[in-house]
Amino acid sequence: MIRTQLVLCAFLLGLAGTAQAITAEELAAKNAEAKGGVAALDAVKSVRRTGKLIVNGGQFVLAIVETRQRPDSIRDDVSLQGLTQVESYDGREGWRIDPFGGRKDPERMPADDVKGLIEDSDISGPLASYKERGAKLEYLGTEDIDGTAAHKVKVTSRAGDVQYVYLDPDYFLEIRIESQRNVRGVKETYVTDLGEYEKVGGVYWPMAQTSGRKGDRDPVKFQFEKVEINPQVEPGFFSFPAAAKN
Amino acid sequence: MTRTFLLVAALLPFPAAFAATTTATVDSGTISGLGARNIGSATMSGRIASIDAITMPDGKLTLWVGAASGGVWKSLDSGTTFEPMFDDQPVQSIGAVRIDRRNPQTVWVGTGEAWTRNSVSIGDGIYKTTDGGDTWKNLGLANSERIAEILIDPRDGNTVYACVTGRLWSDSADRGVYKTTDGGATWQLVLKGGNPSTGCASMSMDEQNPDVVFAALWDFRRKGWTFRSGGESPTAPSASALMVTRDGGRTWTEVTPEANKGFAKKPYGRIAVNVAPSDSKRVYAFVESPASALYVSSDGGQTWEARDKSQWMVWRPFYFARMTVDPNNADRIFKDDGNLILSEDAGKSFSVVGGFRGMHGDIHDVWINPKNSKHVISGDDGGLWQSHDGGNRWWKGENLPISQFYHVSLDDRDPYKVYGGLQDNSSFVGDSAYPGGITNSRWENMYGGDGFWMFNDPADPDYLYAEAQGGHIGRSNRWTHEARDIQPTARAGEKLRFNWNTPLHLSPNEKGTLYIGAQFLFRTRDHGQTWERISPDLTTNDPEMQRQEESGGVTVDNSAAEMHTTIYSISESPKAAGTIWVGTDDGNVQLTRDGGKSWTNTVAPLLKGKDALPKGLWASWVEASPHDAATAFVTFDRHTFGDFAPYAYVTRDYGSTWQPLVTPKNAKGVRGYAHVIKQDPEQPNLLYLGTEFGLWVSIDGGANWAEFKGGKFPSVAVRDLAVHPRDKDLVLATHGRGIWIVDDITPLRALSSELLEKPAAFVAGRPAQQRISGPGGWAPGSATFIGDNPVDGAVINYYQKSRHLFGKLKIEVLDANGNVMDELPASPRRGLNRVVWSMRTKPPRVPPAVQLAEAGTQGIPVLPGTYTVRMTKGGEVYESKLDVVLDRRATYSLEDRKQQYDAAMRVRALFGEESAVMDRILAVRAALAERERATKDEALGKRIAEFDGKVDAVRKRIVATTEGGAITGEERLREYTDTLYGAILRYDGAPAAYQLERIDVLKSDLADVEKQFDALMDKDLPALNDALKAGGLEPIAVPPKEAAVADADIGSGSGRRAGGELGDPDEGSLAESLPRAWVGYR
Repeated sequence: MIRTQLVLCAFLLGLAGTAQAITAEELAAKNAEAKGGVAALDAVKSVRRTGKLIVNGGQFVLAIVETRQRPDSIRDDVSLQGLTQVESYDGREGWRIDPFGGRKDPERMPADDVKGLIEDSDISGPLASYKERGAKLEYLGTEDIDGTAAHKVKVTSRAGDVQYVYLDPDYFLEIRIESQRNVRGVKETYVTDLGEYEKVGGVYWPMAQTSGRKGDRDPVKFQFEKVEINPQVEPGFFSFPAAAKN
Repeated sequence: MTRTFLLVAALLPFPAAFAATTTATVDSGTISGLGARNIGSATMSGRIASIDAITMPDGKLTLWVGAASGGVWKSLDSGTTFEPMFDDQPVQSIGAVRIDRRNPQTVWVGTGEAWTRNSVSIGDGIYKTTDGGDTWKNLGLANSERIAEILIDPRDGNTVYACVTGRLWSDSADRGVYKTTDGGATWQLVLKGGNPSTGCASMSMDEQNPDVVFAALWDFRRKGWTFRSGGESPTAPSASALMVTRDGGRTWTEVTPEANKGFAKKPYGRIAVNVAPSDSKRVYAFVESPASALYVSSDGGQTWEARDKSQWMVWRPFYFARMTVDPNNADRIFKDDGNLILSEDAGKSFSVVGGFRGMHGDIHDVWINPKNSKHVISGDDGGLWQSHDGGNRWWKGENLPISQFYHVSLDDRDPYKVYGGLQDNSSFVGDSAYPGGITNSRWENMYGGDGFWMFNDPADPDYLYAEAQGGHIGRSNRWTHEARDIQPTARAGEKLRFNWNTPLHLSPNEKGTLYIGAQFLFRTRDHGQTWERISPDLTTNDPEMQRQEESGGVTVDNSAAEMHTTIYSISESPKAAGTIWVGTDDGNVQLTRDGGKSWTNTVAPLLKGKDALPKGLWASWVEASPHDAATAFVTFDRHTFGDFAPYAYVTRDYGSTWQPLVTPKNAKGVRGYAHVIKQDPEQPNLLYLGTEFGLWVSIDGGANWAEFKGGKFPSVAVRDLAVHPRDKDLVLATHGRGIWIVDDITPLRALSSELLEKPAAFVAGRPAQQRISGPGGWAPGSATFIGDNPVDGAVINYYQKSRHLFGKLKIEVLDANGNVMDELPASPRRGLNRVVWSMRTKPPRVPPAVQLAEAGTQGIPVLPGTYTVRMTKGGEVYESKLDVVLDRRATYSLEDRKQQYDAAMRVRALFGEESAVMDRILAVRAALAERERATKDEALGKRIAEFDGKVDAVRKRIVATTEGGAITGEERLREYTDTLYGAILRYDGAPAAYQLERIDVLKSDLADVEKQFDALMDKDLPALNDALKAGGLEPIAVPPKEAAVADADIGSGSGRRAGGELGDPDEGSLAESLPRAWVGYR
């Protein structure tokens, strides 16, 4: 599929001026194709990425295991010195364990704090999944992203939240996603850069990511080393621990 | 080629790098990966031209600020924080900002400030956002240059009026009142002035009947040497007029004293007009005329009454023609001026409530909260101010870094300090780096007035030179702030002509020698005690350009801003003492090669031939080459003639001939009139060019230019720049966004066409110092600006011909033995990239406990030496060397550092030994737990549990174990070790003897603990094992003593040292801050 897609890309690149004619919907389709195609994406029911999380300019390097499962579950297990912090969302509620100060009890996360997890739970990404999620797309032309004239697509969710997705102009993979969220009545904008794509299970996955509030000079960095497709995920893995429920 | 490549790429596991088929060019993407950091400051902030705000349904105020030359800023939290919204746009000068009150996500911005002082910038039309500023569209009026006001019909957001002031420096038909009824798709000029120098200066709509609009037409013109508001003199004819339409702009009627009883007599200068929002009949008009006054109508503009005509009604109308009527009280009106004045009796009398008293002064806009008239927001030459008592007391915004520098210089302290003068904001000294960040308080005011050139005195670091407008220079004591006036004085019957922005120049050849230019060049070699006049009049001395006392038009305005036929730029060759270049504001480029005995005007060749420059342009910058005595660079600026194109030339033969670098015919992508050009002090082909719209860089001697956009550097005027000779930083003085630093431009020096053709390569940087760090700053809150420090670590530079998208881009650091010490997250961008290495080992492996061992999250600073960096990209491997050196400021020796390193390594080993014992304990406990679960024998289970309690008692001697999250104060071996480790790491010199002894003490304690564990294993476990066997369970093996593993599998190998940044004022604890530090990355 990627070959077909790239041939198509080459054809389009050969036609001067076609870039202006492109639509957001076409870009979404190209994005899905570039990732491996709709069928390959749909075959991924869950995915686990393992690697490092580098924060505060490298002040802390933590081990991270990120697990996602369709339709919209996600869990991060982040470890340092034998302590593991958990943030998880099971499609209904988010929770976390924040152990570094000496407390290991799970606690529920406020709905606004879960928004980022919900966005990142989307295995296919905001463009490839826009139809099933009922989002609206708008093509905004190209914009310079660190020296790359990237395609800019505005994605407005059913709930009205906005993401700007920037696609590499040659390969149509995401290189930046800018997400706007309303957090306790305050607009917060987060920027995630994606790169070092590797193909696993027929799908291209970003193995390097940076993420932080817009304007952060020192965003958090993810370096993933392993991707597992459809790993075994125990029932209840994403849900608030039953033993702690009250 | 691309197509072929992609076909091939499709057959590869990863599409191969694009580099193979693309041709590399030097453009913004190539160079901007170096980044840049803004160090502000917001202490002095800068001029604000326009404000608008709206209270949102949730009660918060959304506030929009248009800076005179620093873009558009938005606050969603009543001014607590601001975000720049216009950084991607090609101009930064703002005249008007207006929110569509029916849809606050729609905001209109008129670019080009209309407060037409000499230093004003320019705009490029009108913009609109419909998504709160995420995206903007330029909707035309491209030739407007400046827009004073925008009005949105409250009935229909697509109907908008633009008050286009128009061109300041030249005639233009593109001015007046424009109207759109289709949201800006098309515009109609509905009111034009009576001549090509008359535009719209003020506009106000009757909010009860939006078809009624008053508009003030203004006849004005500025030249380099004069200004007029109105006609050429107080009594000369002027096309200024007050107009009113009552049919939405179809027809207009002039308000005249003949038709409208009581109105001002002509001629007029600038007029400001306001219809009271709460009363259609109340109209205010400030009219500049030979008898400037406030006129008030109580019948909708039919008849008028002259009211206040006090000092602040007549002072500088061109700069202060705006008023704000309280939306809840038609009698209450603020008038902007040097002071802010307020009338509560419909203009009969005014009180000074702000301005030079309690604020900065020079007010340009006021906004009154319709929901609470006591809440007033004002913008002036010093920034943004809020009052909660109706305008009597003011709270300064400390978070708008829109400072307007003219010049910048640096000293040789470490970190170096930054010196510079600012438009109406004095002369300041600030830090280029400071623990905790460069807060507003790290900037110190050293002089007064408008600020320009400022230098540390290299002959006496206790003193500096600072300058105010018109060449007023002071030699200031750095510590007492005593400022001695040392401006040269005139001879009998003579007037010295000092430019508004009078050049000062430090001799690069004689420490302490200072030059200043009037029409003559002066030199002092004794700190201003005496001055030598070392030139004749170097200007054209054109008397037509020396009639400043007639400047102002209706109201005289002769503030030194119009002084002309002056020296404007000075540069002595570092290669030849006494070779001095001088540029004048009237186009001369003078050269002396004998210390001022004789002078040659070298501009003559540029004024001849088919490409001859027009006469009279400003030689805005002359720069003697730091490499060759015969070479000099010059920029010319014709913006005061309405020509905004860049001009830059070079001579390599002492001005006999000049070669164009940038001209209007061949601008090479450079935009904006040129302010400064400099040649890199180390790489002759590397040139820096600052214009009204940013910074351009050439790596080939000016043949090609690339705009620098690193760190989201906006299209703001770069008025001056400096390269630090020691630190190799490029420091930019912007006129609107403060000081920016591009740290270590060594990679720019290394860029070459050969390098650019490589798919990837390391690029040299300066040696990496292990900078001393420590705590600094204190909880500043959200409402203050903090300038960024340089990154803390070794910066590794590399180049990529194309963006890296597929596969691993691996960057590793290796020690001298080839061992991989760290792997760094890569930067994928095209062009120059930077990544940072902490210069630390991996952190120690620490035994797990209930909380983090905070110091133990950190690695140990590596020893100075040469390391290898290795990049693996697409199967290719690239290597380079990285020199790590001690901090230049270190008071300890390399041997001391080795002692620290060795001590820290011993503590690290101790952590490892504790971990090894803990491994054994945990192995036994796991085995016990398994047996306990397996047995059904209650007595045996109890015995297992009792034994486990004894083993756990040993564990509790090693680590803190009390859960719950409270401050337990529980310290065990691991915690003591962590405290010791942190203490050793925080000081890079030799540890104290008691710290070394403490290592031994802790080792001894650990041995004691291990002895206790071994005793349990040797004496108690066999009996338990017998019982286990009897109960049908496997006995428990004694875990062997294994060599301690000192490295953590993961942790920090890339970190800054603890406590180096702003801490939590309550705790200051790294462990406390860790969870907060990274939670929320999603």
